[in-house]
Amino acid sequence: MMVSAVAPTNTVYARLERYLSAWQRSPRSLRIGSVILAVHVILAALGPFIAPYGYAHMGAGIPLSGMSWQHPFGIDQLGRDIFSRVLYGGHIEILLSLSGTALGLIVGAIIGLLSGYIGGWIDNLLQRLLEALISIPFLVLALLAIAAAGPEAAGDPVLVIFVVALVYAPRIARMARSAAIDIATRDFVTVARLRGESAWSVMRRELLPNATSVLLVEFALRAGYAPVLIGSLGFLGFGMRPPTPEWGLMISENRALLIVSPITVLGPGFALASLVVGLNLFTEGVARILGRSVRLGAR
Amino acid sequence: MLILRLIAERILLSLLTLLLVSMFIFLMLEILPGDVASRILGRDATPESLAVLRAQLHLNEPALLRYGSWLGHLLTGDFGTSLVSNRPIADILGPRIFNTVLLSLYAFAIYLPLTVLPAMIQAIRRDRPIDHALSIVTLVLLSTPDFLLATILLITFVIAVPILPAMSLVDEGSSAMEYIQAMTLPAITLAIVMAVYAVRMLRDNLIEVLDADYVRMAELKGLSARRVLIRHALPNALVPTLNVTALNLAYLVGGVVVVERIFSFPGFGSLLIDALQLRDLPLIEATIMISAAVYIVANLLADIGAILVNPRLRKG
Repeated sequence: MMVSAVAPTNTVYARLERYLSAWQRSPRSLRIGSVILAVHVILAALGPFIAPYGYAHMGAGIPLSGMSWQHPFGIDQLGRDIFSRVLYGGHIEILLSLSGTALGLIVGAIIGLLSGYIGGWIDNLLQRLLEALISIPFLVLALLAIAAAGPEAAGDPVLVIFVVALVYAPRIARMARSAAIDIATRDFVTVARLRGESAWSVMRRELLPNATSVLLVEFALRAGYAPVLIGSLGFLGFGMRPPTPEWGLMISENRALLIVSPITVLGPGFALASLVVGLNLFTEGVARILGRSVRLGAR
Repeated sequence: MLILRLIAERILLSLLTLLLVSMFIFLMLEILPGDVASRILGRDATPESLAVLRAQLHLNEPALLRYGSWLGHLLTGDFGTSLVSNRPIADILGPRIFNTVLLSLYAFAIYLPLTVLPAMIQAIRRDRPIDHALSIVTLVLLSTPDFLLATILLITFVIAVPILPAMSLVDEGSSAMEYIQAMTLPAITLAIVMAVYAVRMLRDNLIEVLDADYVRMAELKGLSARRVLIRHALPNALVPTLNVTALNLAYLVGGVVVVERIFSFPGFGSLLIDALQLRDLPLIEATIMISAAVYIVANLLADIGAILVNPRLRKG
């Protein structure tokens, strides 16, 4: 009787202890990165509810009045509270980055894995096409896609997601292809092919499970750079439109009055940079656990 | 002979890539949008102005024919005429490209010491506080978007310590001193963004090389630590970093777009943004084509360099 009463607590306790020691054994970059990301995700989820003012609420304070306890990031020229706008912007930044990168990962992984497995002229052709897309510098490629979408689509979050996916898919496909070529030489793939399985099902059941660690690191790496890309587009005036509280756009809006109130630029800037620092540390930690080397910073 | 064949192969592949890029640009800008003329004119469109623009851009001809003639003109160096200023695009591009090349050379001159010095300090003082501190600095800078870094530099050197101009306006009449002043902040921004990417790589390479036997040997011969580092370790650690430098050049092609914009520097990158904002179609096509060409040529040169220094290919 006693045993059955004690055992569950014991397992829960043991499990907690296991988690704790796994956490302590994990790379320091992963721990710090996870903490930073957790803060960002919590603030992004709660942001709209805990923000003291609305993101488009004008007259929250005296315009450009600088830092104060009531307005830690100051007030912009339209009288909007920057701190509230930064809080509202968090989920925009995170959702756009993750969905854009995820779409790029899905498309890129399918193309890359199939191309590497099938080989032959199809692979050659796809390689040349992807190479062409990669040769356009990624910011220029993003701007080209936005120009192609035209003014009707400007500021549409779906367009931003598609643009992120378009920029990343060829780069992810290149990684997935080299992973597929490596995996395709193994016996279990030969066996699957001899069983008469289609290329699609070989990809899904043999290649994909064995490429997960490559794809996971690739996803984390690209997701870490996506906020910079989205911010750059917003900053240049080709991303989200006002009054959306996108951080890059906010930096560009408040830049004109930098001399009067630098904090209105530094606030959103700190939010953006710390998000990317968290993502990069997290990526480095994940890569170390999976035994892969990763070169941070997208080029 | 093998070398020549490999190089010829690389060149042909690059030309093919360039051809595919031109097709992609044309597809995105002239075929996908459907009615190009009303896209360009937007709300200002009247039936007459639409007809004029259609005639000017030959939009009534079949797309394939238009692509063929565009490509044919590109091959002879004719980029067409700007819709906004009505000047030949080649004339507009000249001074802009000159400015951007100057800016890039300046940035590269700052980039080299900015990469080598921190990496050497980190490698010598491995796992000491200074190594950790520099690692944190490079990680934070690596995560800082270039437009934010430029803005922070602007706050520092224009507002807090006013020694440099905020606007980098130059023209043909500017003196060399004015050019240097105008280009300093943009060049520092580009150099930092490129350097933080390479420092982390070079530090790891240096540490690897410092552990190699020939470096141990040099130390045992009694050479000074500085001589070992500079004559024996650094050259070998730099070779893998050259690849990163090629990647950095690729960054530079896109990076100038943001950085020139921020400092209002009249270069190639700000021309691209202007063209996009004014919906100057021939100019957009020309600038994007050129930026892709620069990237492709840089990669080609890096590949040829790798083929030339590969001793396994040198004999064959």
